[in-house]
Amino acid sequence: MFLEFVEGPLWYASGVIFSVGVTIRLIEVFAKGTAPDFSVARGSGWPGAIRALISRSWTAKGFTKGATFHLVAGYMFHIGLFVLLLFAAPHVVFIEERILGFGWTPAPHWLFILAAQFAFAGLMLLWLRRAMHPVLRKISTFDDHAGAILTFVVMLTGCMALLMSHDSLRAIHMLTVCLLLIYFPFSRLMHAFTFAIARSYTGAAMARKGVRA
Amino acid sequence: MTDAAAVSKRLGYRRALRMSALLFALVLIVPLVPYGLAATGVQLNHPGAELWREVRQRVQPADAATAVQNIDGSVLINTWGETWRVFRATQLVPIGGWVLLGTLGLIGAFYLIRGRIEIEGGRSGKRVPRFSVNQRVVHWFAAGLFILLGVTGLVLLYGRYVLIPLLGPEGFSATAAACKEAHNLFGPIFPFALVALMALFGRGNGFRWLDFKWFLKAGGLFGHHIADSGYYNGGQKTWFWMTVLFGIAISVSGLVLDFPLFGQGREVMAAAHVVHAVVAVVFIAASLGHIYIGTLGMEGAAESMTRGYVDANWARAHHNLWYAEMEKAGMVDVPENALEEVKRHDDIDFRGFGSPLPEVSESGD
Repeated sequence: MFLEFVEGPLWYASGVIFSVGVTIRLIEVFAKGTAPDFSVARGSGWPGAIRALISRSWTAKGFTKGATFHLVAGYMFHIGLFVLLLFAAPHVVFIEERILGFGWTPAPHWLFILAAQFAFAGLMLLWLRRAMHPVLRKISTFDDHAGAILTFVVMLTGCMALLMSHDSLRAIHMLTVCLLLIYFPFSRLMHAFTFAIARSYTGAAMARKGVRA
Repeated sequence: MTDAAAVSKRLGYRRALRMSALLFALVLIVPLVPYGLAATGVQLNHPGAELWREVRQRVQPADAATAVQNIDGSVLINTWGETWRVFRATQLVPIGGWVLLGTLGLIGAFYLIRGRIEIEGGRSGKRVPRFSVNQRVVHWFAAGLFILLGVTGLVLLYGRYVLIPLLGPEGFSATAAACKEAHNLFGPIFPFALVALMALFGRGNGFRWLDFKWFLKAGGLFGHHIADSGYYNGGQKTWFWMTVLFGIAISVSGLVLDFPLFGQGREVMAAAHVVHAVVAVVFIAASLGHIYIGTLGMEGAAESMTRGYVDANWARAHHNLWYAEMEKAGMVDVPENALEEVKRHDDIDFRGFGSPLPEVSESGD
């Protein structure tokens, strides 16, 4: 009964909130436009946008030492989550049956477990650093903590339902997934979409000014 | 047919009937003979006894072959399995339970007798940096994993006795399945946390003569006499080395259980489980003491691991020699991130281990 509710009405409702919310947020960003630049452009913005999109995936020279922790833990979490989300066999089946109507070859079980371990370790380390570092702690808001904790809970309930032997465990996991989908558009979790816009905007703006950023 | 022939035929039938009755009686009686003999004390060898004894003792020809090719493929009866099951049910579970409950009882009794250990002289308002950001992150990373693994492990060990009455068989089944998956997934992360702990907390944790004197004074826990202590006291050093040794034992045995891919048979797995469970129970019991003294039991201790600094009066009361060094180095009443700042500018990790003292100017530059 509970599983039917979370996989039925709640799943559809949270899916709609997620899709509409993300779309509105993206429209908001694009609707703001850019500040008028009256100077003569030194170059095209596109190469700068693409360069910034790629180069910002690594720390700038001189900052590597101080940012190693974030770089390593950040990639551990994000790559782990990516593999977990899109290549775990239960997720591939769910995506095929409930979302897209087609699937793809899932990752082998060992790889998916390894990805989950990387994702868990990365997320825990990143959140702990946020909570422990005096400066990071001060600039963090409730939203930062809520997003991290909610993501962790979703992953944990998913891990606990891995045996796929009890509907109750699957229902709990689906419930937390729905909560995350509802929370997503209103939070900084939106960076999953906006990071590309922010980087490209900065890169393009700098390229037009002739700055290699 | 003549009368004589008819009589002969009838006699033949009767003979056959008697023989059949006799045979039937023998069929019923013969199996009872061993019982009768056993009752009289006569020893009998079962024809299959020797075979089954050899099977139980795993005495088998060297060229024994089985269709299923694996490490235990030719083992018909795993006697170790029964030994392990009996040990788990009759010793591990009850004794482990008493150890855990006993530890909680002792801590409760200590709290009732001694009460919370307050900071002598109250808070001074001056902070002394104690643990760096990296140390605290690694501490809580390991602690988080430890708590998650400890709770899920205890559910697997004691859930049948504690949770079934509360959740019912179905509820416990789901809880146990969830805990098993979480335990197996988070377990392999713990050894990495352990290595990081050893790397960041190893320095300064070697035992010195001072620590034995600290033990003789019971760390100053009873009464108000001061037990001299440097950066770490004897109790903290003991906990560190317990963490290292228990952590290694629990990690190795856990990996043997989690990855049955390297030729380990059931006997090795059972032995690994015994080591894993016994060490885990002792480790969890010891951790209860650590958690108590770090939170409820002692005022001002927890903030060293949450904020990274302690109150100067706390440092003076519990780590007087370290405090003297910090005072000499001008590291008392400094900003929250003083450790990171000093390290950034001077590349010196000064926390009072006896390393060269940094020159800290009055402006803090």
